[in-house]
Amino acid sequence: MTIVKESAPHLRRNDSLARMFLDVIIALAPVVIFAIVGYGWAAVRNLLIPSAIMIASEYISILIRTPLPNDGNKHGLKEKIKLASSKWTINNLLAPLISGLIMGLIMPAESDPIAFIYIALVVGSLFGIIIGKLVFGGTGHNIFNPAAVGMVFAKLCFGSHYVYTAPFYVSSIPVGGTALSTIVGTSSSGVGVTHFASLGSDYSLLDLFLGNCPGVIGETCKIAILAGLIYLLIRRAIDWRVVLAYLGTFFVLLCVAALSISLSIEGTSFGMIIGYEMLSGGLLFGAVYMLTDPVTMPITSPGRIFYGFVAASITLLIRLFGAYPEGVVFSILLANAIAPFIDYYKWSTQKFTRKKVILLCCLYATMILVITLGVLYSGKAVA
Amino acid sequence: MIRKATHIADTKKLLGLLPTIVVEVPDRIFIATDNARCNKADIFVKEGERVLLGQTIGMRHAPFFDQPIHATVSGRFVGFEKHYHRSGKMVDFMVLENDHKDEWDPSLTPRSDGEIDKLTRADFVKILQEKASVGLGGSSFPTHVKFDNDKPIHTILINAVECEPYITADHRLMLDRPERVIEGIKLLQKAFSCKEVKICVKSKYGDLRRVYGEYLRRFPDSGISVCPIGNFYPQGWELAMIKSATGIEVPQGKLPSEFGIANFNVSTVEGIYQAIKLNRPVVERYCSVTGDGIAYPSNFLVRVGTPVSYLLEKCGGYIHPEKNKVFILGGPMMGASLPSDDCIVTKTVTSCIVLDEEKTKEEPCIRCGSCVLSCPAHLQPCQIMNAVKAVDKERIKTLNPLKCIECGICTYVCTSKIKVTDYVRRAKVFAKM
Repeated sequence: MTIVKESAPHLRRNDSLARMFLDVIIALAPVVIFAIVGYGWAAVRNLLIPSAIMIASEYISILIRTPLPNDGNKHGLKEKIKLASSKWTINNLLAPLISGLIMGLIMPAESDPIAFIYIALVVGSLFGIIIGKLVFGGTGHNIFNPAAVGMVFAKLCFGSHYVYTAPFYVSSIPVGGTALSTIVGTSSSGVGVTHFASLGSDYSLLDLFLGNCPGVIGETCKIAILAGLIYLLIRRAIDWRVVLAYLGTFFVLLCVAALSISLSIEGTSFGMIIGYEMLSGGLLFGAVYMLTDPVTMPITSPGRIFYGFVAASITLLIRLFGAYPEGVVFSILLANAIAPFIDYYKWSTQKFTRKKVILLCCLYATMILVITLGVLYSGKAVA
Repeated sequence: MIRKATHIADTKKLLGLLPTIVVEVPDRIFIATDNARCNKADIFVKEGERVLLGQTIGMRHAPFFDQPIHATVSGRFVGFEKHYHRSGKMVDFMVLENDHKDEWDPSLTPRSDGEIDKLTRADFVKILQEKASVGLGGSSFPTHVKFDNDKPIHTILINAVECEPYITADHRLMLDRPERVIEGIKLLQKAFSCKEVKICVKSKYGDLRRVYGEYLRRFPDSGISVCPIGNFYPQGWELAMIKSATGIEVPQGKLPSEFGIANFNVSTVEGIYQAIKLNRPVVERYCSVTGDGIAYPSNFLVRVGTPVSYLLEKCGGYIHPEKNKVFILGGPMMGASLPSDDCIVTKTVTSCIVLDEEKTKEEPCIRCGSCVLSCPAHLQPCQIMNAVKAVDKERIKTLNPLKCIECGICTYVCTSKIKVTDYVRRAKVFAKM
């Protein structure tokens, strides 16, 4: 027994990084189970390929970054592998596993021809983990969500070959359907916001809620995602401020949009628009599993509210007026890019100052104005 | 976990109930010649000379005040020895050989009530300075400075929160000597001509509330009340306590007296009672020896100057010999870890804690934000850490690390087990440059 000196404080909270990562994986479990039940082999393949690639890339990056002892002796690759393996911790396994699972869950089940989905998975996950994370220095240093980077890259490269299918347990499989985000965003491309008139013809709100609709494999079943959300909130593995700010802002701005749409365009109903937009696409999945990645979000509480606001505004703008269906993923990446700016030391504070409240109100007012005018113009253009 | 640290695992539930053990005064007593605030000292006695209990045997000098050194036993002064001081420094200690007679200096006669009635605030300053009264909660802030202004005071707060885990010194003092605490408070009321006094305790300590509720019935209309406040850490920080007890938000850098508030630790109040009423310096204090590396955690009433190893013996010594130990004087959150148990109980040692060393591996920061959520000074420890790593002086200064009170909560909550507080301490050095 010896007495060792250490700096104060001498107590630590019973908590660890591994616990946080494990919580996210447990929270992903219901979504993964529903995906495997619903899509069978396609889901297994979607989950395995990115996970394996991302974990392998992480290991190789550690191997590259591990220097051999510079003592004049010759050291072989074997020794290097040994040295790298000793640096390999459970966190180096869990972090890329999470990215890999999320990446697999936001990819579609099929493609036409089928080979493209394999290429998309491989290329996307390689790009996501290397460009999205490892080049910045690995865990804790990345600016963008690696899964989102990979997914967007794959979509841009191979998107036209994607086929969005509904899970097997759906009685009438609409083969060759499109992702709901697509239905909402661009199914009537070129005619602006008028497609809201045809809502409810294909899927009821209950279908959307239960996952009885086509889409990427992880986003369809809302019950599984909500279960994951509750687990994450109970375990405090995510910050509720971001989820609340994101979904809350989206809902408020959506109400404005829905009101102006239902007033200006015939055949649309306020309730239907809100229900469909809230339940369709990757909104919930993104809000629960991707936007809440602590590494890529601002660190202060007011910053996190602004972050949620920015992401929600961009999501809604892309969904209402944009050409791409993946509003959520794009908005997450753009909000990630803004996070360091929100955290800039000259204005980041933990307190809600009056200035910040005023700024947030102004931003809300601007967004409401933009959405109202946008909807009115877009509706007029059609008429 | 992304969560504010509201309370720290409390281990003192049982310890607070354990009776106080009055320790026999050891044969040799050690008195520090300098401490955290004073770095020079003159010694008035020669080697071999006999000293009396309470006698002034030297004078410590600090930049703004002088502090007399008092003998805490009667006996012979035999020379100097080097031991560890609470501040973590190796310091010269005067060695007094105890003759076990405890003969008080005859000039220290108790004051009568009539004499006390005539004392003014200025007299209080003089007496407290003479008796070297300091903040006994651990800060060792000279008490007389708090009296040395003419600001009107409307509320006196007695800090009995003891928010750090493990420590029960104030708790035992409150239970053992309520009459001295109340007498001390009455002296404060007189000095500040202020009626309202709140004794701030953690709301979960029902025993203290009940004991004082009962005891205060003897003093109707005294203006003294028990004020249960939060159970969180760092509730004992004076600004946090003032806010919880009175609702007044004192900004950092301002003195509570500017807002009409005077606050004292409960042990200090007892010390003030001894200085004013009994005309004696503080010669003994409550000290808890505890931690998971100790066989039998105990509460002690010890003579100031007792070696800690003497107390450890009384506790049954160390257990788990296979594990390395962390040896702390003060609380486990803010106390100093010493490289050896060769140290002395000085006036401000509230506790001695021995913990089994727990090795932690530092992981990269994932910006979970727990430190930012928890910081009682509303700083951003994580951002300060990054600024220190980047050696960006402008950024460090803007993030204002000098507001940090070093409560240690940022290291405590860190998910990645990073010693964030250390980085903030380094930032303070940068910010002062």
